[in-house]
Amino acid sequence: MIQVPIVWPVAAPIVWAAWVFGVIAVILALRVWLDLPSNRVAGLRSSALWTAVCLGCVWLRRYDPTPVSWLRGSLPLGWGAILVLGLAAWAGWASMRRVGKNSRLQIVFGRFLVHISLILGSIVFAIPFAWLLVTSFKEDVDMASPHGIVWIPKVTKTVPYVSPENPLYRAVYQGQSVEANRAFVMPDGRWQMAVERPLGLAGFTFEVRKNEVVQIPRNAPLVTTTVQGRRAQGKVVQERENGARVVELDTPPELAGKRLELPPNELRPVREFGLRWQNYPEALDYLPPEANRGLTYLRNSTLLVVLNVLGTLLSCSLVAYAFARLRFPGRNALFAILLATMMLPGAVTLLPQFLIFRELGWVDTLYPLWVPALFAGAFNVFLLRQFFRQIPLELEDAAKIDGCDYLKAFWKVMLPQVRPALAVIAVWTFIGAWNNFMGPLIYINSPEHLPIAYALQLFNGERSGEPGLLMAFASLSMLPVVLVFVFAQRYFIEGVTLSGMGGR
Amino acid sequence: MRPGQRAFGHLALCLLAGVLAPLSRSQATVSVWGVRPGPDAKGTEALVREFERRNPDLRVRTMSMGAGEMSPQKLMTSIVGRVPPDVIFQDRFTLSDWASRGAFLPLDRFLAQETGPDAVKPADYYPAAWSEAVYDGKVYGIPYGADDRILYYNRRIFRAKAEQLRSAGLDPERAPRSWSELLRYSKVLTEFGPNGELKVAGFIPNWGNSWLYLYAFQMEADFMSPDGRTCTLDSPRAERALQFMVDGYKILGGYNAAQKFQSGFQGQENDAFYIGKVAMKIDGDWVLNPMGRYAPNLDFGVAPPPSPDERLAGKGIFAGMSPYATWIGGFSYAIPKGAKNPGGAWRFIRFATSLEGREIENRAQRDFERLRGREFVPRNQAHIQANEELVREFTPANPHLAAAQKMHVEMARYGRIRPATVVAQVLWDEHVKAIEKACRGEATPKEALLAGQAVVQRELDQHFRYYSRPKTDFRGPVAISVAIFLLGLGAFWIHLRRQPLGRLGRHEALWGYLLVSPWLIGFLVFLLGPMIASLAFSFTQYNVLNEPRWMGFENYQALATTERENVLKAFGNVFYLAGIGVPLGILSGLTIALLLNREIFGVRAYRTLFYLPSIVPAVATAVLWGWILVSDPSKGLVNALWSKTLEPWLGAALPGWLSVADWAKPSIVLMGLWGAGGGMILWLAGLKGVPRSLYEAADLDGASPWRSFWSVTLPWISPLVFFNVVTGLIGAIQEFDRVYVLKGSGGTIGPSDSLLTPVAHLFVNGFSYFKMGFASALAWLVFAVVLVLTGIQFWVSKTWVHYEADR
Repeated sequence: MIQVPIVWPVAAPIVWAAWVFGVIAVILALRVWLDLPSNRVAGLRSSALWTAVCLGCVWLRRYDPTPVSWLRGSLPLGWGAILVLGLAAWAGWASMRRVGKNSRLQIVFGRFLVHISLILGSIVFAIPFAWLLVTSFKEDVDMASPHGIVWIPKVTKTVPYVSPENPLYRAVYQGQSVEANRAFVMPDGRWQMAVERPLGLAGFTFEVRKNEVVQIPRNAPLVTTTVQGRRAQGKVVQERENGARVVELDTPPELAGKRLELPPNELRPVREFGLRWQNYPEALDYLPPEANRGLTYLRNSTLLVVLNVLGTLLSCSLVAYAFARLRFPGRNALFAILLATMMLPGAVTLLPQFLIFRELGWVDTLYPLWVPALFAGAFNVFLLRQFFRQIPLELEDAAKIDGCDYLKAFWKVMLPQVRPALAVIAVWTFIGAWNNFMGPLIYINSPEHLPIAYALQLFNGERSGEPGLLMAFASLSMLPVVLVFVFAQRYFIEGVTLSGMGGR
Repeated sequence: MRPGQRAFGHLALCLLAGVLAPLSRSQATVSVWGVRPGPDAKGTEALVREFERRNPDLRVRTMSMGAGEMSPQKLMTSIVGRVPPDVIFQDRFTLSDWASRGAFLPLDRFLAQETGPDAVKPADYYPAAWSEAVYDGKVYGIPYGADDRILYYNRRIFRAKAEQLRSAGLDPERAPRSWSELLRYSKVLTEFGPNGELKVAGFIPNWGNSWLYLYAFQMEADFMSPDGRTCTLDSPRAERALQFMVDGYKILGGYNAAQKFQSGFQGQENDAFYIGKVAMKIDGDWVLNPMGRYAPNLDFGVAPPPSPDERLAGKGIFAGMSPYATWIGGFSYAIPKGAKNPGGAWRFIRFATSLEGREIENRAQRDFERLRGREFVPRNQAHIQANEELVREFTPANPHLAAAQKMHVEMARYGRIRPATVVAQVLWDEHVKAIEKACRGEATPKEALLAGQAVVQRELDQHFRYYSRPKTDFRGPVAISVAIFLLGLGAFWIHLRRQPLGRLGRHEALWGYLLVSPWLIGFLVFLLGPMIASLAFSFTQYNVLNEPRWMGFENYQALATTERENVLKAFGNVFYLAGIGVPLGILSGLTIALLLNREIFGVRAYRTLFYLPSIVPAVATAVLWGWILVSDPSKGLVNALWSKTLEPWLGAALPGWLSVADWAKPSIVLMGLWGAGGGMILWLAGLKGVPRSLYEAADLDGASPWRSFWSVTLPWISPLVFFNVVTGLIGAIQEFDRVYVLKGSGGTIGPSDSLLTPVAHLFVNGFSYFKMGFASALAWLVFAVVLVLTGIQFWVSKTWVHYEADR
């Protein structure tokens, strides 16, 4: 075991920037000596530029004069690790020697390196997703662990147990099948029941006749404990009000059937690998009744997506067609205005638009979230116009000779030609509409009009202490976008290529 | 038309018809916000059901919508948008703020009609609670709860540390009584880990519920002058109270250390107080029920909140005063202006605040808790008789809980309320900021309070000056612009007539105008009109509920003077985010693209994986990363890794990420890097565009791959690099979704406003404070900055960046 000393500077971001720019300047200055004489002026100029930027950062430092400090520590390396590292270094050196002499090997080796880096990179990018999924299947006890993150979820083993002292019934409450306890027997012989599941109705009481309910088994958690110095396993059949659990032992055989009352800290649940699927239905159970177990949110988001996509496609293609193919006075001026509007930040029109929609009485409806799509967004028009312009004029002329008017020519001849661009726009609009957050935040007030993205933010506020439920809901909220992406990947990639715009 | 197309058309039509069908609104609905019968709130459910049973003509719709979390934005947009709820369950101290803007209905009309033995009468309520709901002589809410704050202490810790306490001259059998005693107890009870991190906090001044208000009330400080026109947040007494908080944090190793410690706290059974991570706290009566539920065996004691030493001694200004004081608050039922069904709303409020209604609610809740084997403690009621009867009926069996309940009822007599003021929300937000600034050591208590006072005073002055400002008549300017527009249209028409267009040409032009009309109308209605309106608003004081009044350039002046600090902070944050995030994003995106820009096995799979994070909804990303970046290494993914590597190797302390001002922005950068795959696709496209022949030529010249990257690839894609830098910056200026989701529940956007962005600042001003005028001015500033950046892009890209056309 040896300790490899390491140091790391702790500095304000501006200091880091100064260092980076300084290094760039020095490298450029050094290169000047190696470069051709004709390039020296340009090299010196760029070196001077970066030096100036570096000095600018030094000057900016006065606003954050935190002194640079050094973290000192050491990396403990076991002999095994040293051996592995040494072997790797030797293998690398040896193979490089061989590879250097053989150009075919060079290519193979290069590919190998590329794959290694790509695999490592994708692991890093996939970890948050993996964490999201794993967390959405965890039990609460696994959310925090002093031994590091729990990556393999476990579930508590249960056995069905028809409990005579604490029976559970399946009953119908307001047309919904529920699991309920019997709270007490009423004087007229009817039973008062208290709902246990689904969680959204938990605690609601209602009355039934005895023949209207069916007893069903409970899921009794299995636990292990120590009885008379021996390890014993059993199931929890009852929870007392003081927190104690009544355990019915199963093993060892001679104690089977014996009942013990034990405090919870003497019991260890039997847990095995498994996914807690219940997080998903439970997350939906916690939603308000108007949400209809999330279906309302799904409907709203879907409606918005469909209307936005249809509206955008229709309006943008018509407008783009006109700008591309029809000659009318003022066309170029109007198109210049259209291009200029792309620079306008949404923030400028945010407040007056709110007032407009208020005057229309559209606050707390879905209209403000899709009606603007009918009025052709500048960027999509620009993109489509480029496409329309590439279509040979002859095609349209032929259609006109056949007696088509403009609309017909547009619909029959032109539109099919720009299908790839339309697909791209459709996909982008889909993502944009599904992910829209600020719009609903401003316009939507009632639970029956919430789209999923905003519902997730509200759920986040209400269930902030329960990552299992939260991650379950989050993964549900991103599922449609991920599916669309996986199936329409081509259009995404093409879309960026076509439009030259990166990401959102 | 093919059948498929027709079916599709029908579908689209049906969808359109379904959406356009007017939503039928039943008049007999009473919508109530702020209360919600969740899985654990059966009392509210019972109350609502019983109300509906007795009033068959009414149906109640309940919703929580974040009210009570000090998130006024939803209520405000609903009132302004003319779709308010009928009843709102609202934190009482904000009533005056809302009432002053005419957002709530005065209830005097209903109160005047009250007769009979069960009439709603002020005399039935604790005077402090009732007066908190009165503004300008009118009643705006019927008080529901009356929560006060007392000291809770964990007896187990006191006993475990009995020796140390005794040797410090402190009695382990009782709670501290004075501030100085509290700090001495805290010092003894606080424990640090091997790396200097907190393990047990004796007392965290602002954990639980005390804020500055409690300590200031104990110092008999008032935050407003009696006439309500002057803010006295900076009074020496408030300063002394804030100094006490600063001292309290010093014992814990500073505010940041405490924040980091707190960010690892959990809820429910693992509450930091139950598990002994915090020895003493000041909190309200709402903690009793969770305690009965999650920590029935906790051995805790209660005491009045420790008083300033001079108060306890009855010296100076405190002569003749009670030795103790506390802060009393609570919620009220109110009716927003424009409620569709005020009559039904009043019937609901009457029932919910009546003795009978309160009993129904509490009994139902108790029955529910009993069913679950838990103890139930009713909340302190503002209704005196109800409070007494409920305490009598619901004394908990657990002696600790019973003692706490008794203490809460007793202390209610010493309660003081927050001042009724038109700037209640701003005062609250600013006092939170002052606490943070002073406790972090960014300013002395005096400076911090003075800064807050200045902001509140300015708001106050603005409010009172509103009425003396000239009314703005927009009819003239609107008429003029419409006239100019029509004239232009006419001129254009004449111009058109003179064009040598044939019959066909005219036909084509007509079609052209027809087809571009969707965009043209959208441009006029949704862009040009709003732009002009926003420009006009930026010269006015306008809260939407009242008419705009002219104030000239004051909003723009404010940007440069009074709001300067916030504006600089917002843009500073953005330049930080972009300055670090954009280069790192470009670097990682380009690296991935370079690796993927070749024919290798599995390229599609890699591309999908790298790209996927960038299309995940921003809200989901924020929620996910909010958890990944939790600073407690037993929960947060990043810190779990950190605690296994960097901490032992380098001794680098675990970062607090989103809970600490210094780390909040790096957190956002990290989140952004996860989405770097979005840029990757763009780089891939750019790299595909580099002609192969150039590489071949470089190869012939014997250039190394590194050299050909520098000399061929980079110059070729340099326009893209520059484009990305500028769009990244513009995107960062408009950053909103993520910071809004991650902002936390306080009045700031991130700790110490460390995540404040221009658009977030605009949103808060526009939709929380409804300072539409100022928000519009800010929007134009954002526009100007974006314009300048775009201009720079055009200019630089002409002179510096390599374009293909130049060759």
